[in-house]
Amino acid sequence: MTRATPDWLERAARAMHRALLRAYPRAFRDEFGRDMDETFADRWREARARGEWSMLLLSLRTILDTIAQAAVARSASLPSRSDMFHLQDVRYAFRLLRRSPVFTLLTLVVLAGGMGVSVFTFSFLYSAILRPLPLSDGARIVRVQEVQGRSTSGFDAFDFARMRSQVTTLKDVGTWSSHEVVLGGADGRAAQRVLQVTAVEWSVFDATHTPPTLGRPFREDDEALGAAPVIVLSHDLWTIVFGGDSTIVNQVIRLNGTSTQVIGVMPRGYGFPVSAESWVPLGAAVREATEAGRYSVNVFGRLVDGATPERAELELTALLRRTRSERPMAPADTAGPAPTVSVRTFPMAQMGDDGPAFFTIINVMATLILLLACINVGNLLLARANERARELAVRLALGASRGRLAMQSLWEPVFLVIVSGALATAIAAAALSFVNHWAHTRLEGNLAFWWTWGMDQPTLLAAGGFTTLTIAVLGGVMATRATSTRFNDVLRDGGARDGGQRAGRVSRALVATQVAAVTVLLFFGVLSGIAAFRLAHIETGYDTRNLLASSVEPDVARFPTEEARRAYWERLSALLVTQGGIEDAVIRARLGTADDARGAIEFGDGRVVPLAEQPRAWLHGVLGPLDSLGIRRVEGRALDDRDRGGQPAVAVISRAMAERYWPGRSPVGERIRLPGIGEATNDQWRTVVGVVTDVPFGDEFARNPRRAIAVYVPLGQHDAASATLLFRHRGDAAAATAALHLAVGTLDPGSAPAQVQSYDDILAKSALIAGGVSRLFGLSFAFALLLAISGTYGLMARSIGMRTREIGVRRALGATDRSIQRLLLAQGGRQLGIGAVVALPAMILVGVGFSRFFPIAPLIAIGVATAVAASIIAVVLAATWLPTRRALLVSPRDALWRDG
Amino acid sequence: MPPASPSAHLPLRPVEFEILLTLAAGERHGYAIIQETEARSGGAVRLETGTLYRALQRLVQSALVTPVDRRSPDESSEERRRYYALTPLGREVAIAEALRMARLVTVARKARLIPAGSSS
Repeated sequence: MTRATPDWLERAARAMHRALLRAYPRAFRDEFGRDMDETFADRWREARARGEWSMLLLSLRTILDTIAQAAVARSASLPSRSDMFHLQDVRYAFRLLRRSPVFTLLTLVVLAGGMGVSVFTFSFLYSAILRPLPLSDGARIVRVQEVQGRSTSGFDAFDFARMRSQVTTLKDVGTWSSHEVVLGGADGRAAQRVLQVTAVEWSVFDATHTPPTLGRPFREDDEALGAAPVIVLSHDLWTIVFGGDSTIVNQVIRLNGTSTQVIGVMPRGYGFPVSAESWVPLGAAVREATEAGRYSVNVFGRLVDGATPERAELELTALLRRTRSERPMAPADTAGPAPTVSVRTFPMAQMGDDGPAFFTIINVMATLILLLACINVGNLLLARANERARELAVRLALGASRGRLAMQSLWEPVFLVIVSGALATAIAAAALSFVNHWAHTRLEGNLAFWWTWGMDQPTLLAAGGFTTLTIAVLGGVMATRATSTRFNDVLRDGGARDGGQRAGRVSRALVATQVAAVTVLLFFGVLSGIAAFRLAHIETGYDTRNLLASSVEPDVARFPTEEARRAYWERLSALLVTQGGIEDAVIRARLGTADDARGAIEFGDGRVVPLAEQPRAWLHGVLGPLDSLGIRRVEGRALDDRDRGGQPAVAVISRAMAERYWPGRSPVGERIRLPGIGEATNDQWRTVVGVVTDVPFGDEFARNPRRAIAVYVPLGQHDAASATLLFRHRGDAAAATAALHLAVGTLDPGSAPAQVQSYDDILAKSALIAGGVSRLFGLSFAFALLLAISGTYGLMARSIGMRTREIGVRRALGATDRSIQRLLLAQGGRQLGIGAVVALPAMILVGVGFSRFFPIAPLIAIGVATAVAASIIAVVLAATWLPTRRALLVSPRDALWRDG
Repeated sequence: MPPASPSAHLPLRPVEFEILLTLAAGERHGYAIIQETEARSGGAVRLETGTLYRALQRLVQSALVTPVDRRSPDESSEERRRYYALTPLGREVAIAEALRMARLVTVARKARLIPAGSSS
């Protein structure tokens, strides 16, 4: 009977079966593999004759049988316990390492660097994003925020006061708000220090299970109407401002001119809720607010046992919507999507939704650096193992078990990895401590209280984890190498060609992996570099020289109506310019952004921009000369004193907006309506009276910051509850700040300007952070690049070195040098191609992931990818060409005699 | 060295005894062993490839079975299969195991565990 030619299904099934056979130990495969393959083929034909179900059944039974039998066979081939550990193996590994100090030192440096980067990155990000608050049961303390569209905010105190008694998923619920006060300077002439004050409910220290180290916590009566003002100081404030005075408790200090009694000092490191430096009672009036729209509060709580953030979100969202539906609403509040509530840990709330993605991406990058280090060291270890191939084969022939050989070859990498792991832990600890010191000295006041870095349990666990992983990778490679030694091959071919085909395959796979890893890493590194550069060189588009900024929020109780607030802004503007040392004062209120867009932009000619197509847009209320900030008039007129309430409603628009909606013609005289970007309450048409240059206010990091459209309306024609004061100081910044305090205090003794900051300082600080981060990234990626270059060269050199004899044979048979060069370069090219195929999807993922955190134009991303690819091609080709040249320098006669 | 005494190999695993029984009739290749075992048991015993060869490995290591030459199962086929045969020790062990089982069957009959007239 003649058998039918095997069809493609049979070929595929047999290929699968052969792949399954690899699960068995090598010795078993060598003895029975072919028989098993033939027997399976016979059974397959029988099953095929019976039908599809039989084939499927046979496949399943074979897979299950292989798993069971291979597991038993593998465990039977393991060395016995007494055979596993031999002190002489350890001594032997030590001796080998001592004999080659350069190799030992090099591998220690490479591995310690790779693991150090991984441990540091993990620990740094874990502390910043995932670590629970450093408070008792801190993992369950959550921040509760209202979400409207894409923006998150605190709650209206009125709404939350109605919701809180019905919340069942949270306990220890509390609210807070932050503001600034002036410490000292009772007569209002000089500000000694502006103090960040967090107004909290009296129970906050109980809720966070942290009592003061000095004095007492707040009591309920501290919050009562008419109670004597009291304050609790943070440890830092107490030591820096009050010199750690142990008699501070019960002393009276002046806050905005009001006598306030210090009642306590909190322990070092406590800055709950975020970066508080002092605490005052919030007051029952805010906590039990009886009027909507009056106060805004931030909310925290502790998840009750069994509650999850998701359950709490569902409950609070339902409560918020019900509360809202039961009270009269302003038209602006009812427009747009229904609000939801987000419940997240404080670090996660600080990072936003992208925290986990950021954590994952950066850690994957760091692990890729470790992978590069492993490939480098693995290659060096394999090269050494090749030198000892003959020795291993002889041991095998003398009766050593393969398990014993595997154990023996494990000690070398185990020793190297453990020492490197210890070094890496020390490097990571030093780097964390340096970062901690740097951040706390340079960024004082801007750091959340949980942002502390140093050696801790998670760092040690991470170090242990990365060490174990590295041992598994390198140990696995070496043990596989040792157990795959074939006595006959070694004796027949000599050391150099030991397992030639297999070693070559491994080597090519390593090059391809390396190419893929380094391509992804470099791509990410260059994108990070661009981002850091842009952060360090922010183009504000306006003149920041001597420019100070501060936010002002007049007391709603004293200025309850729109008219009263309008008058307040006008008087403040007039008062400011009469102060000595201040010039060019502009009051700017951000009235709306596209982030909370709730409607469309409409034009007088009937056009409407649908919500989905709306570009990034900003609506600013302004009072004062825009050109003094460097925002120049392009056409039409500027906003001026004429534009008050009762006069025709006007607006000045940015050039980007003019070009977008009135291409090729002047928008001056056209009419617009802006319910989409904040004017929902002022349902009125505005006439465009002028066009100004583009300025990326608040959107400096956007892909194309200058293209964001902006509309400026006179503050006299729009209500604003708070605004930013921008003013230039002539001489001393401190004198100008004092003058500002005086002006604000004159108008409203109950409020103080908050966060007086110099624009140059803000930019310098962001440049400082960007510079620090980019230097850190730069170091890591330079290390990765060095590893990639040296590793690729090492791998290619070894791969080509193993073919020296083959090259000699080819040349002896008449092959030209050029054809051999072509052959070897083609080999390098193949690995390059495989690496690129693997790297491409990873690069796309990285690019997309990166653009979530920092906008990068697709063209720039493609340009970077091309440049990275070109560099990698150059490195691989150079790494192939150099050893090829060396191999060709060996005469065919020498090559044929070469042993290893 | 595997023990030379047949009794030292007893009791055999069922799958090993099935293989020895099949090989008692003559040399067989792997697939033939699977087919004959299945046919003899009326489909009750169906050896999987991995189970068969792991058992064969044990039998070869114990010197009860030996691989013989590699040849085509039929003249028209070009494919060559490896055949396995019983060693003299293997035959003795198979006999010893069969007797051991026969004794057990006798005991079971006396204990009336096997109904009179039943062949199994």
